[in-house]
Amino acid sequence: MTIHPADGSTRVTAKRSLARWNLEFERGRPPIRYGFSVVCVAVALGLALAGRRYGFGDAELPLFDLAIVVVTWFAGIGPSALAVALSTASFDYFFVEPIYSFEVSRQELPYLFVFIAFAAITAWFVVALQGAMSDFSVPARSDSNAIEQRPAGRSDALRFLPIATALCAGAVFVADTVTTTDIAFSTLYTAVVLMTARFSSVEGIVRVAAGCVALTIFSYYLSPPVGPDYQGIFNAGIGLAAIGLTTLFAVQQKTAEASVRRQSSEIRKLNDELSKRARDLEASNDELESFAYSVSHDLRAPLRHVDAFSELLQKHIASSLDEKGRRYIKTILESSKRMGNLIDDLLAFSRIGRAEARTTLVSIDQLVKDAVAEIEQEIGKRNIVWKINPLPVCYGDRSMLRLVIANLLSNAVKFTRMRDKAEIEIGCVNAGNDVEVFVRDNGAGFDMQYVDKLFGVFQRLHLPEQFEGTGIGLATVRRIIHRHGGEVRAKGGVDQGATFYFSLPKAQDRPERSVKTS
Amino acid sequence: MSGLGRVLLVEDDPKDVELTLTALAEYNLANEVVITRDGEQALDYLYCRGEFSARSNDNPAVMLLDLKLPKVDGLEVLQQIRSDERLKLIPVVVLTSSHEERDLVRSYRLGVNAYVVKPVDFHEFVNAIKELGVFWAVINQPPPGSLGKAQ
Repeated sequence: MTIHPADGSTRVTAKRSLARWNLEFERGRPPIRYGFSVVCVAVALGLALAGRRYGFGDAELPLFDLAIVVVTWFAGIGPSALAVALSTASFDYFFVEPIYSFEVSRQELPYLFVFIAFAAITAWFVVALQGAMSDFSVPARSDSNAIEQRPAGRSDALRFLPIATALCAGAVFVADTVTTTDIAFSTLYTAVVLMTARFSSVEGIVRVAAGCVALTIFSYYLSPPVGPDYQGIFNAGIGLAAIGLTTLFAVQQKTAEASVRRQSSEIRKLNDELSKRARDLEASNDELESFAYSVSHDLRAPLRHVDAFSELLQKHIASSLDEKGRRYIKTILESSKRMGNLIDDLLAFSRIGRAEARTTLVSIDQLVKDAVAEIEQEIGKRNIVWKINPLPVCYGDRSMLRLVIANLLSNAVKFTRMRDKAEIEIGCVNAGNDVEVFVRDNGAGFDMQYVDKLFGVFQRLHLPEQFEGTGIGLATVRRIIHRHGGEVRAKGGVDQGATFYFSLPKAQDRPERSVKTS
Repeated sequence: MSGLGRVLLVEDDPKDVELTLTALAEYNLANEVVITRDGEQALDYLYCRGEFSARSNDNPAVMLLDLKLPKVDGLEVLQQIRSDERLKLIPVVVLTSSHEERDLVRSYRLGVNAYVVKPVDFHEFVNAIKELGVFWAVINQPPPGSLGKAQ
């Protein structure tokens, strides 16, 4: 008999996309929405008249209610009010004695009253349900916008639901005692949904549902026989099915709501943790920055003084200094210079970590040629044979990559110093998505046993008398290459030369490449 | 008083003051060098207030300014000078231990005339100070109103 609100509520569980479509529709032009309302009521009226014509009595109330549910759900509040008004008028004209007139007999007045109350409550219920749905829906970004666009007060309607329920139940009780129309079932399951919207636990919902089932069965046995017996069983069956469906929906919604709440609290917790991490990281970054800053400022000053006053002392007592004294002062001066170099290198190294990389297309070939030209100027008349193979174009920070090349080449030059004929080869090999550049020399080489130490800060594999340097060059190379997402490695043997490899991501963008390199 | 420009040295470290003076003396630079030991004292000097209230009201030919100073730091002094109509023309050379890019950038943003990092090596330091002194106090033509020539 009355399957309509159940229809509305299962619809709720149905598809979020419907709701979204609904929003689109709501934003549509009013004539369409109001037209939709008129059409729905007309269809319901047609079906109800056809039903009466072919012996399906009492179908009008559920049909009109269904129309109201559909209109409210899809077209919004205004069209819903129109649908309620049109349905009431049609109901009065076609189905209330005397029929084919808007007059209402005294006896039929409660029936009309119940119809109006029921229609209004159905519409209200759908509106409240929509509001509740949007409240509970997990806020995807677009959805949260949608909630804001919904008319305010929809979820406020929820607050009045218990009152509405009580009114509805009262109205139906009156109607049931006055008329022979059995609409208690619909009221009961509606009440279940309405109240569960207010209940906080699944248990509560189940308890209410159980009560409703009992009442439905009870009223089936108590209500006066309406028509043939199968009709009563049919009504009771529909009522029970509706209660079951509604309970299912309510429980599902409660569970979803709980899981959303759990998820959002979890998300909040993770978020808090994340922002705390970010703050910590920022703080330690700042600390690092100020550390480097004070190293730069404060460590250098005393060093300058050591150097300067030793120098002045040397000048001051030059005549009275013996060989030993001169050597002492010379050692002080050399040490302070070395410390100055160490500080500078360390600062430069830490700056690489902090500096922002400006990524462009960089021709390794050009960098190598520039570095070689620079080195040739410095080394004077050493016999070095350069072998430069074709080199790729890579994405990277030009000045950082220049430092890589300069470090590797000057290392190669340094460690081939004792060769009569130094041979230095630069080339590249393909390595999947990366390209690997190598610098090979025939110099002093190193013991592969210590290859892991090679790229450490201030790690040296040679004595300072053999080869000068602070031991920061390869650490710098590794740091820069790691920042570019590449890897470094080395191969060599004692007195057999060394080969240093570094990989960089390939520059994929061909057109840009040709522009840059041409 | 000499007709040469006056050098205002703002430096908190007494050893650096001594070294700077030694370097200037090595070149026999005859310019008067006024020494202030922090930013506040430097501003006192420029505004002729406090202990400097009796001095003649002219600007130094050049100001050698350390960045890390007690009380008012070098950048604040620089900012103050550049925002004052009467002082903004004074040539200011930052003379600091700091290589830091952000110091460089901020100094130039505030309109510094030169930025010199004190070299660790003493000879280089002497050279740098000498060249600075010669350039700013002798070669460079300071803005009007900054010479102590009136007397």
